[in-house]
This record gives sequence, structure tokens and C-alpha cells, in this order.
Amino acid sequence: MDTASLLVFISLGVLTLVPALFVVNSRSIVHAGFWLLPCFLGVAGLYAALEAHFFFVTQLLIYAGAILVLVLFALMLTRNAMNPTESQSNRLKPVAALVCTAFAAGSTFILVKHPWAITTDTPKPAGVQTEALGNALIQNYAVPFEVASLLLLAALIGAIVLAKSDRGPVPEPAPLADLTSGTAGGE
Amino acid sequence: MGLTGFLTISALLFAVGTYGVITRRNAIAVLMGIELMLNAANLNFLAFWRFLHPVAVEPQVFVLVGLTVAAADAAIGLAVVLNIYRDFGAIEVDRADSLKG
Repeated sequence: MDTASLLVFISLGVLTLVPALFVVNSRSIVHAGFWLLPCFLGVAGLYAALEAHFFFVTQLLIYAGAILVLVLFALMLTRNAMNPTESQSNRLKPVAALVCTAFAAGSTFILVKHPWAITTDTPKPAGVQTEALGNALIQNYAVPFEVASLLLLAALIGAIVLAKSDRGPVPEPAPLADLTSGTAGGE
Repeated sequence: MGLTGFLTISALLFAVGTYGVITRRNAIAVLMGIELMLNAANLNFLAFWRFLHPVAVEPQVFVLVGLTVAAADAAIGLAVVLNIYRDFGAIEVDRADSLKG
């Protein structure tokens, strides 16, 4: 293992995990939404390091593009639904921190100890690999592919039906000036 | 880095996402935690594909279906959150308690 790739790996890990901590801890929900972007980019970089070229592009398009925009739209539609001066987390915080640290430590311990049967094979180049995936999706795995597309169609129609307003307009959010006075200590 | 490095990052990302899901009061922030957990799952799949079965195509099909489920989850979840906001006038998960006995 040469130092250059180790350095790239460590910086990708930091780029993924540090923004993730800000996503779950930052006081401003809009900041949390924007912290998702470097986290998704870090995961995309890890996919590239794993030589999963198709999923590198898919991660950029779907997560850093579509899902992030969807989350930010929902944040804007529910603007000022919560008073930013109140705490953003519930009283389970110490218990949750303990449980999640224990989970991370335990699973890391187990997977470092486990004797994985690592092969010396390497993935095929990008073009060959993507072509094989495309062929698999219309031959052996056509049924899962069609089920996935049906699921997307159902989600599309379901989201439209759920979000369609037939119960009057969305409540008017409180004016910004009322809430911004105590947010100087945000983040 | 080898397989264990990627799996460690994935486990840490999953733990961070779980922490967000448990502690956040805002329903959209809970959904952000779920997105982090789904990312960790896909990262795990691709790490196993790269180091255990790099010539197989099945793990990639799994990841593709997982991505689809994640996208559907985000769309439906945010629509439900908007509905809760409309009905309760609040976005805190512990205030939407109409089904509570």
C-alpha cells in the first residue's frame, strides 16, 4: 500500500464522516441540509476509489443532485416550523451517543478481526463493467429492474397524491424577524 | 486501503446516521439521518463487491435496486412530512402523536 493512495483514502473518509457529524449535530436545519453535500461527494469519491465507475456518477446525479434538492425544497416549504432557539435534539441524546458509539466500536472490532476471503482479482475497466451491468439488467435481472421501476412509479404517484393540497393551504410561517433574534450562536 | 478500511468508514457513517435518526426532533433531519444510513449500506455493498467478487455483476444490481429504494424513500418521506406539517402545524416528530393510545 503506497502512501499516496492511503492519503487519498483518509481524506475521502474525513470528507465523508466530518460533514455527516455536522448533519446530525448542527443547530440550523438548513446548514444540516447543506452539510449533506460534502458527505455525498465523499461517498462518491469512495465509490471511485472502489473502481465502481457507474455508481460514482449515479451517486453524483441522484444523491448530490436529486435527493439534496428534494430535501432543500422540503426545508423551504416548512420554513420556520421550529423555533431555532430551542434545542434541535430530544432528551435521548446521551443514550443515543452511547449506543451508537458502542455499535461503531463493536462492529469495527468484529470486521477487523474477521478473516475475509479477499481475492486478488481486479474489476474490469469502466466500459466493460458498465456494459456487463446493462446487459445483466435486461437479461438475467430484468425482473428486479422492472420491479424497481414499478416502485419508482408508485413512489412518484404516491408522492403527488400525498403532497397534493386538498385540505387548504400550507400554514403561513411566522415572519423571519420574530425568530432570528436568538440565532447568533447557531451551528 | 483494503476492505476493512472501507467497512470501517461505512460502519461509522451508519452509526452517525442512526444517532441522527434517534436524537433529531425535526422530521426532515430524521430523513437526512436515514439517507446517511442508506449511503453506508451501499458503500458496504460496493466494498464487498470490490474485494470479494470484483468480476461478479450481482452486487451492482443490488446497489442499483438499493439506490432506487433510497430515492423512493426520500420522495415519499418528504411528502409525508409535508402532510404532517399541514395537519399538525408542526414538524417535530414527537408532536405527531395522533395514533398514540
